[in-house]
Amino acid sequence: MKFQIPIGPQHPALKEPISLRMTVEGEVIKGVDIRLGYNHRGMEKLAEEKSWIQNIYLTERICGICSHSHSTCYVQGVEKLMEIEPPRRGLYLRYLVSELERIHSHLLWLGVAGHEAGFDSFFMYTWRDREVVMDLLEMISGNRVHYAINTLGGVRRDIDEAQRQKILDGVAVLRARSEYYFKIGANEPTFVGRLAGVGPLTKQEAIDNCAVGPVARASGIARDVRKDDPHAFYDEAPFDVCTADSCDVLGRTVVRIKELFECYRIIEFILKNLPAGPVAVRAPRRAKPNEVVSRYEAPRGENIHYIVSNGTEKPERLKVRAPTLANYPATVVMLRQGFIADIPLIFAAIDPCICCAERTVELVNARSGEEKTVRFSELRRLADERFKRQTVKRNVEWPL
Amino acid sequence: MLKKLTRWSRIKSPWILHLNSGACNACDIEIVAALTPRFDVERFGVLLKATPRHADVIISTGPVTRQLRNRIIRIYEQTPDPKFVIAVGACAMSGCVYRGAYNILGGLDQVIPVDVYVPGCPARPDAILDGVVKLLGKL
Amino acid sequence: MTDAEKIEKIKRLLGDKILEASNPAVRRVFLTVAVKDLVAVVETLKKELGLWFICTVSGLDKGDAYEIIYHFGDTPGNVNVRTRIPKSDPHLPSLCAIIPGNILYERELQDMFGIVVDGLPDPRPLLMPDDWPAGQYPLRKDWKFDRPQEIIPGGKS
Repeated sequence: MKFQIPIGPQHPALKEPISLRMTVEGEVIKGVDIRLGYNHRGMEKLAEEKSWIQNIYLTERICGICSHSHSTCYVQGVEKLMEIEPPRRGLYLRYLVSELERIHSHLLWLGVAGHEAGFDSFFMYTWRDREVVMDLLEMISGNRVHYAINTLGGVRRDIDEAQRQKILDGVAVLRARSEYYFKIGANEPTFVGRLAGVGPLTKQEAIDNCAVGPVARASGIARDVRKDDPHAFYDEAPFDVCTADSCDVLGRTVVRIKELFECYRIIEFILKNLPAGPVAVRAPRRAKPNEVVSRYEAPRGENIHYIVSNGTEKPERLKVRAPTLANYPATVVMLRQGFIADIPLIFAAIDPCICCAERTVELVNARSGEEKTVRFSELRRLADERFKRQTVKRNVEWPL
Repeated sequence: MLKKLTRWSRIKSPWILHLNSGACNACDIEIVAALTPRFDVERFGVLLKATPRHADVIISTGPVTRQLRNRIIRIYEQTPDPKFVIAVGACAMSGCVYRGAYNILGGLDQVIPVDVYVPGCPARPDAILDGVVKLLGKL
Repeated sequence: MTDAEKIEKIKRLLGDKILEASNPAVRRVFLTVAVKDLVAVVETLKKELGLWFICTVSGLDKGDAYEIIYHFGDTPGNVNVRTRIPKSDPHLPSLCAIIPGNILYERELQDMFGIVVDGLPDPRPLLMPDDWPAGQYPLRKDWKFDRPQEIIPGGKS
């Protein structure tokens, strides 16, 4: 008997409005229908009416968690259009903030995953550590989120020796705590058992559906824009692309924790080799008519901006494709043949940033056509109860 | 006497509902960060509730998109009296950078009546706590 | 493969289907094809050059024609395939049979520009609200929006 359950725009688990309609038979999900548009703000049309500098603040507010990625991707493209090169020190500072943002985003995600799996103390611990990163970002830029540190031609602020030392100390503290989380994840059979085997996405399915970011890397595809398209200084920085082979939510968690360690490496490299000099060059007001494609590795995947200019102060066209939109077809595949109780975890595993994608789970009874509304917290409670009844898988392979 | 009792019970533990109406998420993570050990809003008795039927205070972020307008009105009607609305962030106040877009109606007060406005882009967790406490002071 | 080798190989495989090929910057290759050859070109690119990853599809309103660009992600760099369709007859063949992950981008093109994509498995609108009037396509250059007057509660209007 098939039901359709709507998880509509206002739900307590996710922080953003999206409507998913799922066709269910018993407890097994047979089909998913994702409805977007609750968060569509018409940015591409707005961007055509604002000047190049005003668009930096607009693109920053596409998303709150990955705000610096959108802003950097845009500024990279426009600098190529205007044919200016920011100085080395400015570049290093810009990507220092990028890596700090990646740390804050992954810690946020770990907390949310812990919360969806029922592990609330993990949520509190990771968000407490996130405050260390937020303090560092506030010290560098003045704001906890939406650090408007990019400008056309470089960055707006500089750091001095005392701040540099504080960042290094903060990173050392975070590194010790991340190793603690790694150990919990590996040796805690209840947590691992909750994540293993859930939301499978084989390598061929990930290729067909054009998955990006940690979702693709957990299925064994070694794709990272920092290696494929090394802009600025990423061809000198020492880091590896982290992949896992288990193709499920456990693999995605492992990939994100490994990426945290790579971030610490990159930040230490940046701070030890920070060149001296100015931090920005002057940018012209107009750009020659041209087009540019700018790609960047946001914490959730690949971010791509396509900018066209026509010789005036305003862009002709700005096209943004955020990583979460690219992961939606893959999510539909992942949710099929899963259980209702796993919906919050699978959906949280793609690290949804729906405001980026711009753009409600409904379960419909296929036989009688009646609709039933189920709250996400209800689903989470069902998930916890079902998990308690299941036996704990003690011999799960931790894909290190 | 009964009035004093009801007033005391309303002040002591407001239960909130978090509503995101098309926001960029920054204000939302600051609201969730207000629950974490550093800012800890639960010492005021504030609990984050899942459904509008249990909530006393609706905390809303983000400019109102056209698709969400009817749903917000429905949620406001589902919340039982007495209810209060807090608009957090510059977007909920007047639309922030998105003013003039074709899918945005403006601030939250175009749709439902608002009691407290908390400015900021995004509003810091301390500011959100300040807003909640000021609301309790108004009661 | 460097950019020059890529262009060389593409020209060899596809010959006269490529109307124009350029390499304006490091790791960026732009190709222009006609609409009727689009499906064949994408199939060859996928099979011979291993370009299975579509980053996104952009539309651009150029006055009398729409320009559609398919951005493919490669290791390293990326390849962009451009095609042009007239405004009087905006039809585009769907690529979902070759690359199933393309569906959301094509639905977005339908919403924003009014382009009709033939052969889409799921042609519903993606981003627009349910009560959006039909025939209004926001990203066309001649579409303007008049914001209705706001009412400020308790203040001067």
